[in-house]
Parts: sequence; C-alpha cells; structure tokens
Amino acid sequence: MKTIVVEHLARVEGHGGITVELEGDAVSDVRFDVFEGARLLEPLVRGKRYDEVAPALSRICSICSAAHTLTSLKATENAFGVRISPQTELLRELLYRGESIESHALHLFLLALPDYLNYPSATALAADKPDIVLLGLRLKKLGNRIQETIGGRAIHPVNVVPGGFGKVPAVDQLLELRSALIEGMKDSDTVVDLMASLPAAEFCRGNTVYAALLSPNLDSYYAGDEVMIASNGDRSIIRAAEYRELTNEQSVPHSHARHSTFRGKPFMVGSLARLTVKPRRPTGRLVVVRERLQLQAPAGNPMDNNKAQALELVRDMERALETIEQLLREGVKDERPVGVHPRAGTGTAITEAPRGLLIHSYTYDAEGRITSADVITPTALNAASMEMHFRRAVEQCAERDDAVLSKRLQMIARAYDPCISCSVHLVRRR
Amino acid sequence: MGKPAVGIFGLTGCAGDQLVILNCEDRLLDLVSLVDIRDFLMASSENDAECSLDVALVEGAVLSNRDAEKLRTIRKRARILVALGTCAVWGGVAAMDRGADRRKLLEEVYGETGLNYDSLPAQALHEIVKVDLNITGCPIEKDQFLTAIANLLNGDVPVYPSYPVCTECRMLENNCLLIEHGEVCCGPITAAGCNARCPEMRVPCVGCRGPAADANPSSFLGMFEEKGIDPRVIATRLRTFAPEGVAQ
Repeated sequence: MKTIVVEHLARVEGHGGITVELEGDAVSDVRFDVFEGARLLEPLVRGKRYDEVAPALSRICSICSAAHTLTSLKATENAFGVRISPQTELLRELLYRGESIESHALHLFLLALPDYLNYPSATALAADKPDIVLLGLRLKKLGNRIQETIGGRAIHPVNVVPGGFGKVPAVDQLLELRSALIEGMKDSDTVVDLMASLPAAEFCRGNTVYAALLSPNLDSYYAGDEVMIASNGDRSIIRAAEYRELTNEQSVPHSHARHSTFRGKPFMVGSLARLTVKPRRPTGRLVVVRERLQLQAPAGNPMDNNKAQALELVRDMERALETIEQLLREGVKDERPVGVHPRAGTGTAITEAPRGLLIHSYTYDAEGRITSADVITPTALNAASMEMHFRRAVEQCAERDDAVLSKRLQMIARAYDPCISCSVHLVRRR
Repeated sequence: MGKPAVGIFGLTGCAGDQLVILNCEDRLLDLVSLVDIRDFLMASSENDAECSLDVALVEGAVLSNRDAEKLRTIRKRARILVALGTCAVWGGVAAMDRGADRRKLLEEVYGETGLNYDSLPAQALHEIVKVDLNITGCPIEKDQFLTAIANLLNGDVPVYPSYPVCTECRMLENNCLLIEHGEVCCGPITAAGCNARCPEMRVPCVGCRGPAADANPSSFLGMFEEKGIDPRVIATRLRTFAPEGVAQ
C-alpha cells in the first residue's frame, strides 16, 4: 500500500490536509482532513439576544464574514417575519458583491495563480511579474472599499443590523464607489486575458452535480430561498426549510467521514455551480468573457471554478455598478432599520457566499433569545465533491510520481477555494 | 544587517488578522521589501518551518493540544512574539463560555466521534507562553498593525490607547447610544483604537476589542442598572469577546 499525503495545505484559509491511499494502482481511500480546533460557536451562542447573533457568528470566518453576517440577519429576520426595505435589499446585495470581488481577487491572484505560473507565493510572483500582483491587489482593494463603505469594515461588517443598516451610506460615498468601479472595470479585459492565457489544467474528468441558489432574477447572491441542483440535465429544487435534504450527512464507502450528498451523490457549490445551474444565458460583455475563457457549462473539470470566478469578478463589478446606479436613481433615503419584534419560531436563510451556498438556520424563544443555531458552509458542502475529484485525479493520472500527484491534488483543492475555518462543522477532523 | 526574519501564524480562529495583513493592499509590497517573511502558510507554499525568527505574529486562540504545541514551538523560535487580534490577546469568541461542559458540546455538534477530538477550552496566548506585544481588535486595525511593524523595525515598541472607545466616540461628537437611547453599548469599557467604528454607524459597541486598561466597569454596570437593562443581556454581551479571568 502507498500513501500520498499533503501534510498542510498552503495558500488556503485555515488548516487542512489531503491523504490518498493506494492499493497498487487503485485508490482505496481519500481524505480531506481538517485540523482546525473546534470552536463550538453554534452551541455557545445559545441564550444570546437576537441582535448579538450575527456579530458572534460572523467570526466563523473572515473572508466570508459579510456572507455570514448577511445570512445570519436573513435567518433572524425570517424567524421574526421582518420584511426589510427594498433599499436595504439593494445595499446588502451591494455589500455581498464587494465581498465577492475581494474574495475572488484574493483567491485568484494571491492563492491560485502562483500554482499556474510555478511560484510558491504571490510575493515571489511579484518579484518577477509585479503587474499581475498589483492588478490583483487593486481589485481586492476595490472589493474592500465597497465593504468598508457599506458594511463599515472590510472584515466583520459592523453596519448591517437586524432590520436594515445602522447608517445608510451618503450619496457622495456612493458616487465615489461608482467612480472606483468604473475605474476597476477597465481592468476586466486584463483579468480575462490573463486567465485565458494560463496553461490548461485538466486533472480529472467526469460528471459533477452542481447546486446553487435559485434567486428570483437568477442573479442575486442574497435574495431567494430555493436551491437548484443540476445533475446531468436533471434539475431538482429544495426549499430553504428542507435544507437538511442537502446536508443529510451520509456515510460514504471510501471514507468514514460524514458528508453532504444529494440523493447519494456529492455535489459542488461555488462560482462554477452558479454558472452551471442557472438557466439564464449570459448577456452583453459576459458572452465575450465566457467565450474567451472557453468556459463550458456544465463543465466536468473542477479547475474551471477559477475561470468561473474570473467571470464573476467582472460580473460582480457590473452588478455593483448597476446597483449603485439604481440606488442613486431611486434616491438614497436615510432610513432607520425597520422594527424587529421577536417571536418564538424558526428561520432559515440560504445565500450565495463567494465559495457557494451558505445556510444559517435558527430557532428563537418568545423573548428573542436564540435556542439553537445550525450553520452549513460551502466548504463543508463541497467536502464530498472535493474528495471525489481527488480520487478521480489520482485514478486518471498516468504518472505515479508523488510530486506530480501532490501538486495536482493541491491545485484541485485550491480551485475549490476552500475556507477551512468555515468548514469545521460536518467535515471530519483529526 | 539583513532584513528581520518574520513568521505569520494562525492558531484556531477566523484568519481575519492575517487577512488584515493581506488587506494592506497599498503597503503590502513595501512591507514585503522591508522584512523577510520566512513562514506564512496562508500566503505561501514554500516555508521554513524551523528557522529562528526576529518577530512572530500569531493570531487565533489555543483550542487544542496541537495549537498549544505549535505555539510553544513558535515561542522557541521567536525573539519577539506578537499576539494578533482579540482571540490571541483575550481568547475571543470561542472563549465566550469557558465554564461550559466541553464534552457535552462536542458530542452535540459532532456526535459521538466528537468525544475523541483534540479539544481544549479556548485560551489566550499569554496563558500558555510569554507574549511580548498585544495588538487587539476583531480584527486588528490596519493602521495599528502597520505602526507596530514600523516601530519594531526601528527597535521600538508601539503604545496603544489605554482609554475606551467612549473617548473616541465623544471626540467624533456622536449622540450617546447608551445615555440618550438606552442601548447596550460596550463603548465605556472597550479598548479604543477603532475610532468608534460601531457607534459612528449608530450601532452599539459589541466590545470586540476587549477591555480597555482605563475602564471603570462598576460605574458602567451601574449605568445599566439605572436604565433598567436586563442583567442577562449585559452578561452575555460582556462575555462574547473576552471571558472573565483572562486579564494579564
């Protein structure tokens, strides 16, 4: 028997590793190991008042902190039957786009690109090709600027509260963001050219099941409460309240891990899934972007998630710009949060975090104290699919060279953009 | 003299303080040119995990024996050990109820297998090793981080405010959320340095930076009593980021 081990996965958020065991040429076991300490935040928040929940659970993860905050508030508001204003919807969507721009730029330029260009890090890459790294940093900063303006802080936003926003951004601030986005859009061709020029990376082929949020206009990270699962032309829909059908924690034969599967099959969430699942055809600039990236959907190659992120980076800037235009057109009102009246009940929220579906489900007592919290993160949902692709990559690789296999496994893991702090629930730890 | 050797590490947490470093977009390449980053797993796949370090920046809390062991190793390697962020300085959110029955919680979240996990109640770094400098915040403030690096590069140690968020909030001439609106704002006892981010947004301070050295907790609690605020709300709020008994 032979074992390939990636002891400690670098250039990802959090602490994890990969183990693949081989019996001759056959893969006998595949594990995505997580050795992040157990923080037990879900049971620890029990007893907290509804307005303390989002700030505490935002701390699950920094890169996805706006996603956790927004999803948490949506779950709480659903539990109490709070209807937020259309302006709040728009501002939250804008904040979500800011996080997505930051997260995708960070992942593509600082974490994933060094693999394709054979550098150990973005700082090493910067020594030879500073323009590439500076481009990434510029886009990352743009995303952070949106988060700072709308959320009040780039990490763990402070300005989003139950019912709305603490302080609605002023028109001047939105105009500044608009200028920054128009400037940022000028970089989109360079991003697409760069991504299109990368050496092909196809390490595993095969059918993949994808799941993404079915939002009312098919292009929202925040609105909507149904998930669509696309498998080989079949489409199924799961409503938020039935989210456990996606997170049924089944045992799988190749490892002892509890995994999220849909009708027994692993599924992938994230940029590539969003692109694949939504029946809406890309329009305008995105048609060209998609052609230049040679992005097929459905794609059986998980590495295409990087390209899908590049496409979303462009789309996020466009969408952020459209949202700001709409806010300015409709007139920004200095609204206070709508009234929040606690009542006993359960609320579940599903949104699209940069890495894919994020679910928060809470139960409250009549006084508005939380009695149970369940958080399902994209990386936990992806774990089974990631392992499936690790397995395929080893099975489909003609070479049995450890260094080659190890690099491929790491590149696949990074293409999923795992956020291991987020994943600490549901994934096996050791 | 060569550039100082620096290591950047994460124990258990959200990686937010390392992300703040990566968020110094305008200064990142300058920073990299001034110091020699030898070990930074979140950003590089080529690291020297054994070399001695002039400065080790450590974020996150200790939540497992693995974390504790890692921290002790970092301490041995480093001349100056800096605790980065509220989790490292105070224990942070994972320490919000250190008295809770951990085995019970593990079993609840992870099932029976949870009982075998390597898991400890959250501890701040100084509870395990000697810490030379604390930079608090959840996450740390970019400016305070860059000031610290500039100071350390010049053989100096930065000094951070001992006064509370309240002082900053008053300087901004905000209406007081606590006195005027009766909201549970932790500004009077929370370490300043964020320029009153939350109250500036009309949102009460949640105390994410941990206690201020100059705080007056008894007068703070008295104020809530006067306002008739439920003591349970105050208790859970105060415990969220910095548990009792972690003071250094």
